[in-house]
Amino acid sequence: MESRRTALTWLSSVGLFGSAVLSAVSNLVFIKPRATYGQPSRFAIGKPDDFPPGTRISLDVKRVCIVREGNKMAAISTTCTHLGCIVGTSDTGFACPCHGSRFDQDGNVTGGPAPKPLPWFKLSLAPNGELEVDKGQAVDAGSYLNV
Amino acid sequence: MSIQIEEKGRKTGRVGDLPHEVWTSVFRNPWPSNDLERSSTSFTNFFLHIHPVKVHKHTLKPSYTLGLGLISFFLFLILVVTGVLLMFYYVPSTTQAYDRMLDLRGTVAFGIFLRNMHRWSAHGMVAMVFLHMCRVFLTGSYKKPRQFNWVLGVLLLLVTLFMSFTGYLLPWDQLAFWAITVGTSIAAYAPVIGKDIQFLLLGDSTVGQEALLRFYVLHVAVLPAVLGLLAAIHFWRIRKDGGLSRPETVAGGREPGHGERGVVARRVYGLQGFVRGAFNGGAPEDSVFSWPNLLLAELFVFVLTVSVILVVSLLFHAPLEEPVNVMHPPNPAKAPWYFLGLQEMVSYSAFWGGVGVPGLMVMLLIGVPYFDRNPKGVGRWFAKERLLANTVFLSLVVLNIIFIIVGTFFRGPNWTFVSPF
Repeated sequence: MESRRTALTWLSSVGLFGSAVLSAVSNLVFIKPRATYGQPSRFAIGKPDDFPPGTRISLDVKRVCIVREGNKMAAISTTCTHLGCIVGTSDTGFACPCHGSRFDQDGNVTGGPAPKPLPWFKLSLAPNGELEVDKGQAVDAGSYLNV
Repeated sequence: MSIQIEEKGRKTGRVGDLPHEVWTSVFRNPWPSNDLERSSTSFTNFFLHIHPVKVHKHTLKPSYTLGLGLISFFLFLILVVTGVLLMFYYVPSTTQAYDRMLDLRGTVAFGIFLRNMHRWSAHGMVAMVFLHMCRVFLTGSYKKPRQFNWVLGVLLLLVTLFMSFTGYLLPWDQLAFWAITVGTSIAAYAPVIGKDIQFLLLGDSTVGQEALLRFYVLHVAVLPAVLGLLAAIHFWRIRKDGGLSRPETVAGGREPGHGERGVVARRVYGLQGFVRGAFNGGAPEDSVFSWPNLLLAELFVFVLTVSVILVVSLLFHAPLEEPVNVMHPPNPAKAPWYFLGLQEMVSYSAFWGGVGVPGLMVMLLIGVPYFDRNPKGVGRWFAKERLLANTVFLSLVVLNIIFIIVGTFFRGPNWTFVSPF
């Protein structure tokens, strides 16, 4: 009798507690968006001809800097690895206005609190001749796309 | 003769007695004229029910509490009222929010005034909650049996800061956008779950429409509910833990502490008998009735708080910068003043400044009533017996204030050191 009561108490406690945990977890799942409405991580930026050799063009809205040296092209992130501000281009590379982080032309940290270099994103040539940046895919610094 | 008629009329329920009947049906207690009626105010009135029947005289000394907890609570009330009013005009949309701010300024009656009140009360509440914490620490009031109420207080401080942080984004101006960009990036430095926290907060990878909506919901619904609940428990615990702390030397100040099961055994259980460590052993002359003594003190603090906020809101406008420009962070991009200490520390190391050190400080604050085993020095400001604890606490406070001052006045473009002089 006593043991049956104990067992039932345990069983119902575990059931109630488990349900509470389950509903908490489902709430978390609910508030984590499956689709985001902001900028897509893959986007086209134009033809290679739009970026003359020797230029470094920052697309601030897309938060990426398109670098072209001769026929080699690359896309470097302009989101500061410190706290997410947009880094501006400077003579020596990039500089962040928020907390003073500095990066060289390849995005390596040269000063300030930034803990990591600016990542390079995968740049590819779509069949229609447009350049495509995929911010979901980081590549090693120094990997260029030949155009 | 006339008296007889009156009494007869009462019995039969004359129509002329209706107003009296209605009044007594609403207010169950007459306007107190004797001690019995004064005691029953807190039993018969819903709003006064939060009061004990009597309070210790020491509790009412303004120099002891400085009224800081009350001020914080009244500021919260002002924030709720002005906040709900502002909700009638605000739209949490990236395309409309800023225009609505301008509308408050231009077309809405008292719009700018309400926004000023809301903004300055928010700043005031952060400051007052912090000062209240300092008061409680420096008078040693977190000690047994009030340990858990201190923990609730620390949680209330954190929720207050989070309330302020979420409200900061809503005007959708440059200040808002970049402060939240920096703030949520700090959250991303938390180990293991940091990135998930940031993504859950923003609902996206960057600050945008989803973030604005999420911060709005947190600001107007979730956090006020949490804060209200925690505050209710906080107030309830004050009474259950035996009222405000008092020094041992004050008569009736003896604190029975925890009984075996949290209830002090007595021969006779009064209505308040199950209150842990309630004072009723003290001499009657040590305590006064809450009506009108405590009530008047509260009313005074309330009027003072509202007056100050009204005057400040008439004199100073809440800042509103340029609308959000995602491409150009202001240089330097600064958080609100109470987060500038954090931002200053973050400029040395994002992890240690933003997560490590603040996390340790919160742990330290929550743990302090449990590892400060010294039972002495309760109920007095700067008690000699608490020299070590008070010195450590004050050093940390001063250190934080120094960081805030440096971040506020000594940081210029690119967060380089500048002199304000």
